[in-house]
Parts: sequence; C-alpha cells; structure tokens
Amino acid sequence: MSQARCFSVKLSFVVTKPSSDAGQSLGRIQSRSREKASEAEPFQSHLSNSLRPPQAVSIDALAGWIEFDYSPREFGGEQKNVSRKHLNRIVLAVVLAIAGGLVVAGLSADNPAAQVAASAAEADDRPAYGDMIVRGSIGDASVLLPVLASDSGSFDITGMIYNGLVKYDKDINLVGDLAERWEISDDKLTIRFHLRKDVKFQDGHPFTARDVEYTYQIYVDPKTPTAYATPFLKVKEFRVLDDYTAEVTYDKPYAPALGSWGAGMLPRHLLEGTDITQSPLKRNPIGTGPFRFKEWVTGEKIVLDSYDEYFDGRPYISRVLTRIIPDLATMFLELKAGRIDQMGLTPLQFTRQTETKWFRENFNKYKYLSFSYTYLGYNLKDWKFQDKQVRQALTTAINRDSIVQGVLLGLGVVAQTPYNPDTFWYNPNVKKYPYDPEKAKQMLAEAGWKDTDGDGILDKDGKPFAFTIVTNQGNDLRKNAATIIQRDLGKVGIRVSIRVMEWAALIKNFLDKRNFEACVLGWGIGIDPDQTDIWNSEKTAQHQLNFISYSNKEVDDLLELGVSTYDRNERKKYYDRFQEIIAEDQPYTFLWVADALQIVSARIHGIKPAPAGLAYNFDKWYVPKPLQKYHVEQ
Amino acid sequence: MTTLMGDFGRRMRKNRMAMVGLFVVVALFCVAIFAKYLAPYPPDRIDTSRILMPPSKENLLGTDILGRDVLSRIIYGSGVSLSVGFVAVGISTLIGVVLGALSGYYGGWVDRIIMRFVDVMLCFPSFFLILAVIAFVGPSIWNIMIVIGVTSWMGVTRLVRAEFLSIKERDFVQAAISQGAGDARIIFLHILPNAMTPVLVAATLGVAAAVLVESSLSFLGIGVQPPDPSWGNMLTEGKDNIEIAWWMSVFPGLAILITVMGYNLLGEGIRDSLDPRLKI
Repeated sequence: MSQARCFSVKLSFVVTKPSSDAGQSLGRIQSRSREKASEAEPFQSHLSNSLRPPQAVSIDALAGWIEFDYSPREFGGEQKNVSRKHLNRIVLAVVLAIAGGLVVAGLSADNPAAQVAASAAEADDRPAYGDMIVRGSIGDASVLLPVLASDSGSFDITGMIYNGLVKYDKDINLVGDLAERWEISDDKLTIRFHLRKDVKFQDGHPFTARDVEYTYQIYVDPKTPTAYATPFLKVKEFRVLDDYTAEVTYDKPYAPALGSWGAGMLPRHLLEGTDITQSPLKRNPIGTGPFRFKEWVTGEKIVLDSYDEYFDGRPYISRVLTRIIPDLATMFLELKAGRIDQMGLTPLQFTRQTETKWFRENFNKYKYLSFSYTYLGYNLKDWKFQDKQVRQALTTAINRDSIVQGVLLGLGVVAQTPYNPDTFWYNPNVKKYPYDPEKAKQMLAEAGWKDTDGDGILDKDGKPFAFTIVTNQGNDLRKNAATIIQRDLGKVGIRVSIRVMEWAALIKNFLDKRNFEACVLGWGIGIDPDQTDIWNSEKTAQHQLNFISYSNKEVDDLLELGVSTYDRNERKKYYDRFQEIIAEDQPYTFLWVADALQIVSARIHGIKPAPAGLAYNFDKWYVPKPLQKYHVEQ
Repeated sequence: MTTLMGDFGRRMRKNRMAMVGLFVVVALFCVAIFAKYLAPYPPDRIDTSRILMPPSKENLLGTDILGRDVLSRIIYGSGVSLSVGFVAVGISTLIGVVLGALSGYYGGWVDRIIMRFVDVMLCFPSFFLILAVIAFVGPSIWNIMIVIGVTSWMGVTRLVRAEFLSIKERDFVQAAISQGAGDARIIFLHILPNAMTPVLVAATLGVAAAVLVESSLSFLGIGVQPPDPSWGNMLTEGKDNIEIAWWMSVFPGLAILITVMGYNLLGEGIRDSLDPRLKI
C-alpha cells in the first residue's frame, strides 16, 4: 500500500468507477514488446522470451510458462529475422465482444456510477486521450538501451521508447518506421533508406541519418557488448548521403539484412564520445518512440508517459505502468483485485480461473500461437543418443498429444519442426512420429537395446538405458512435461531422472560444458527463418547455441543458401528441405508450440489481434472517456 | 532401573497428550513402511484426463496438476519426511553427544574451543545457513539430511555438556575414577547413560523440527526434487492452484501439521514423564 500512497501524489484517481477499485494501488506490469522480433535464442534468464530488438515480433513475456531464450549476449547469437506473412492461425478467443455499451451495461449491475455513463457509452466509444494501463511483468528490465539489452523484460520497455528504421506490421510484413521508404538495388547488395523528416527525440533534438550512422557504429564496435552485431558486421559500407538519406552496402546478398534495421535508433547527440556501457541512458532512456521514460524503481515498477510529439501521433494512453511481480499466482491475485489491467496467463488460469462472470465482464482474453517452441534435446556427444534410430524411437515412445493435453490443457499444438506451424516457412510434410510404444520398443531392439538381464531396463553392451533430463526452475510446464516423458519412456524400459535447477547454474554447469544427457528447454522462433545459430555444425563452441552438437553438412549448406537468397519462394525450398532433414535426424524431440494467453482489461479498446500478436498497435489502444479509471497528470 | 522405567511408563500413560503423540508417531511409521500397500495408486501414476479433480470416491483427496492421486503422494511422502527427520536427527545427535561429552568431561581448553565453536554456529540463522549450503552442494534428499544434521547439533551439545558437568562430580563417577577406570570407560559406561534423558527429548523434538525444515526447503524448490513426492513440494505445487484446487495444498499441509504435532507431543510427554523438573 505504500506504493499506492506514493502514487497518489502524482495521480489523483478519477471517480468514474467507484465500485471497482479506483484509488487502489497501481502497480507494475507485464510486458509486451511492440513489434519486436524475438529471435531464435533459446533461453534466457527472465521467465520470458527474449525479443531481439532489431527484428520484430515479440513473444510476449507471458510469464513463466513460456520459453526461456538463450541470452543472446552471452552466446553471440546471430540475428534471424523472419518475415512471416502467413501467420494465419492466430486464434483469437476474444471472449467477449467488446461493444462498449455491452461492457458498461455489464458493469452497471453493481456500479451506479457506471450506469449513468452507460447511455453515453455507445456514442462514446471513441478514442480518447488519458488513463493509465497497468501491466504485470514477471521479470524486471536490466538495461534500457536496446543495443545492450538481451532479455525480454528490457526489450519490452525499450520497444515502446525507441523506433527502428523498419518494423513489422500486423501481418508481419516489413514496413517503414523511421524510414519513410527504401530502395533495394537490383543486385540485392545495397539498401538506400529515406528517413522521415518530422521525427524528434524525446528531448526535442531532431532525428537524422547521423543517428542511424552512429547506431550502426555502436553495433559494430567490438567494445560494445551486444548480441546483435552479426547482421551489422555483414555491412560492407555505410554512407550518409544527406541528413535524411542513408545507404548500406553488403558484400553479398543477405536476406535478413532489411529486418535487422529494425534495431532501435539511438540518440547520437547524447551518446557520442561516451562509453555506452556507462551511459546514464541505460536507466534514463531517450528515444523517438511513442512513450517516454518517467521512472524506474528496480524490481518494482517502470513508468512510461506518452510522448505527445510522437511522429505517428500522440498515443491515447497517457501512462504505461509496468509492475514487476515475479510470481504468477501473486500477479493473478493483483489482476483479480483490479490492480493490473493486462498480463499473460497460465493455461490453468486461462481455462479455469478466468471463466467467471466477473472476468467475462471486466476482461477480454486473447489466445494465439506463440513464436516459440519447447523441445527435448539430446546431447549428441553422448553415446546413447548417437544413433538416429534411437532418437526416432524416443520420439515415438513419447505421447506428445498427452503432454499438450495434460500440461498445456490443450492450449497449443504438438511441434514437428523448429518453425511455428502457422507461418509461411513451416513444412507440414515432414516425417512424423505418432505415439506408439510397441513400435518404439521394436526400434530400440533393432538398435541393440534389449532387456537382457530382466530388470525391466533396456541395456546394451552391459549398460542400462538410463539418463537424466535437465530443465530450469520456475517453469512448471517444462517440469511437468519432463515428468510425463519420464513416465512414457519408463514404459518402454528407459529409466529417466529429472533435475530441475536454477537458470544460471543450468547454463553454466551443464549446457555450456556439454555436461548433460538431455534437456527440456525452449527456443523463440524468429520472424526470419534463419536458424544457423542453432543448427550449424560450427556453432558448437562453448556459449554457442548448438549445444547438442548437431552436425549435418547438408543442413549447413541449406542454411547458408537460405540467408543469401532474397526470393521468398526459393528460400522456402531450402528451409523445407532443412525441416525434412531435422525431422529425419530428430536431434530434438519437438514437444509443443504453446498458445500465448493474454488477458486485458475490457476498458482498454482498440486492441486488434493479428498475426503479430496484440502489442503491435499498442500506441493506438485507448480507453473511451466514460471508462477511464485513472487521472494522469504528467 | 526397572522402577525408573516403571515410573516413566506410568507417567506416560497418564499423560493423554503424550499418548496421542505416541499414537500419531507409530501410525506414521506404519504408513511410511506399508506405503506400498496403503496407497490406492502409485504416487507417480499420471493421468492427464483427470487433472485437478476434487476429492471423490476414486481419489479420496483429489488429484494434482498431472492427475496424480494426492492421497497416494501424501502416503509416499511420509517416508521421505520421516527418513529425513530421523537421519538428520541421528547425525545431529551423534555430533552433539560426542562434542558435548568431550566438552563437559575434559573441561579446560577443550571445553572452551568447543563451546566457542557452538557459539559461532549458533550465530548463523540456521535456516539460511542450510539454504546457502544446499545452494552450494545441490539439492538432493541425502544432502538435505546431512545439511540439516550438521547445522542442528548445537543444542544437544550444550545439553550433554551440562549433564556431564553435573554428573562428573557425583560420587559414583569419583569412585570409578579412584578405581582407575579409563576416560572412555567413564564417559561411555558411567556418565553417558545417565545423561541421555535430555538427549532423547531433544531428539524427538528435533525430528519435528527436521520435518519442518525439509518441508520448507522442498517448498522453496531446493529440497526433495520432483517428481519424488514430498509434502513440501506438494505444497508448492498446490500454492499456485490454491484458488481452484484447495485439496492440493490443504492435505499435505495437514500431514505436516499432524506429524510435527505428534512428535512435539511425544517429546514433551517423554520429558515430563522422565523428569518433571527438566525443562528444555
């Protein structure tokens, strides 16, 4: 409550809705990054996905149950961006049709004040300025300069403060952001950006091509500890033609190039000549975006206010309060108390805890396939997993449908390849391994695994088939999946133990040292289909992402062809073949692609679920005047 | 000796709460030993079609997040809790008795060193010390037993030392010394049996404390590792779903409550019956 007090100094609460909880404390929030791309970094330390700044699409940091991504900074990941046009399956479970009148009517039963407003509401479902949205976030930000950040908690915030030259629109097509338009030369080597002339940083300084040049230089500076340098290092030459025109040239065609310019543009006038790792902008960012930084209380909340001079129009919502609540159950209680407007839900919360009249009247739920998948990865250096047939048998022995049912409560689909099934790049015609324990036993027998000593455990060369699955703490979905896998493999005579450990320890002591047998982890799926970092046979050094040591010459070649081809359809052929090989080799047992589950207060209007998720038009969300709950004085 | 035991038995039987404690403890032992026969299902039987079912005829105490039977898991969990309790207390008692005996019997600089060491150990808030050690050595049921054991012997050491200090001056000990008995003989044969009363009581109460610590550690996720059932980690799993599945947290919580209460009642009963003046 002290928090409430400290806030009320700045905000006086408006009394339009006395019954709910006006005057309660506000809090911090969940995050969502705007259209930032998440990348194929597998795990990362805050229970949420990391988004790669340059490329778009965020896998929202929906709480702990979603994937962890590898922290790109440590692993020097390469960028992958994706353009995924055909994300057709976004199942939107908009639980309640949000006609404004309807909502208010619903509220009115126990809310006389709202009743008065009800008649006006229909006419008044117009965008209006004002009000505050309170989002719940499970992890705090670490640094608010996008070039240094590597966790979703940070990208979630920087996504609202900074803009790139390009961005992904609701259908995940690249469109101009700070760049008005661009031209790509016929040989695909040169991109010329024409910048908007009406953009100002939040401190009033105009944005020009010099800022783009400076941002580029920061990314390629070896002294900058960034995980996102790769696409910029492929730039041969960067030229500023005039204040509002810049030209980049590459050595050879590089398909992810354009998307990489979605990286947040930094203010040169504030940063040049300083050590970026020591910059005050790490905690007090200044960008060109729709929201400007106001306050950050570590571990508690981050406050952003609307930037009224934003080039794309002042955002309707006046204040975005992100409350950091590391525990999902606690966050949910805050949601129920009306102190949070938006958060990511667990499958249980989504299916069982929000199906009440009160929730239906006060919130809308959204569901769409997330840009991430969870897998059981085998350490291919381990002798037990070197035989392809054994890995195929393991996948056959695991009842993945039951995992999706039991762990995700059906809110997701079984994964078959490392691509989101709703995207353009997904190849549905790969070899699949339906659950069949008898067949699995037979396959294992063919591979030499038989129970010769009658102890119920398969053995080969006198050694029993027993291994340990490691996974990270804080993600019950993974732990539960591992438990089901343990049971399924037990049925075919494989003894599995499970070790759940803290994130940093898992990375440091097990994955980095290749000191594990199998792991249940997740990867974010980027917008660009490039997955070189995960599957290339040379990305196996310590800290690199191919920690299962997968190696296949044909895959290496296909991935190389993929990034140097601009034509989408031709490109897809390479990735289709790549998926066939991966499905055949089964270096992972692909477990699931989960649904992202979001809940947002019904008073927030203007949300238009799209393939890109919800957050892409965050600055266009609004609360109609009669529904506004908080009075924000900036 | 016989009359002593007779007195003890009589006083115990008259102490109704102590008998309740004894009954609970014996019952828990039986449950732990015969878990296999008592549990309606294997504790790890997953049934994804029966997730979070409320208590019913098939699942008397409901099912958990993976459709496992809560009753069966509590029954199997009793074995975990009790073995942690007993092994931990065994370790702490052994350390405590040896150090206390040395300290009390020899006195002088041996006493001073040991007692200062006890003071040092007591300075640490023991739960946080355990947390730190577990974080370092990694969570497993064996590590937990050992760590709880080696961080909880100080009370026993002090009790044993105090007993030794007073018994050492008694005539029968002086007689033994004057007859030329060796130190070991005097310590183990003459003094120790007479100093065991408070140790027994402390050990009984210690089991209760160890069960609690194990549950707390498991609750925090650094105790017994899932999917092995332990009451503490059942509570953790229950906590997240307490609004929709109260049975997941209430029943393991009750199990912990009953066990701890049982041992405490028994311990206090033994204390009162053995020596009404003794206060620990």
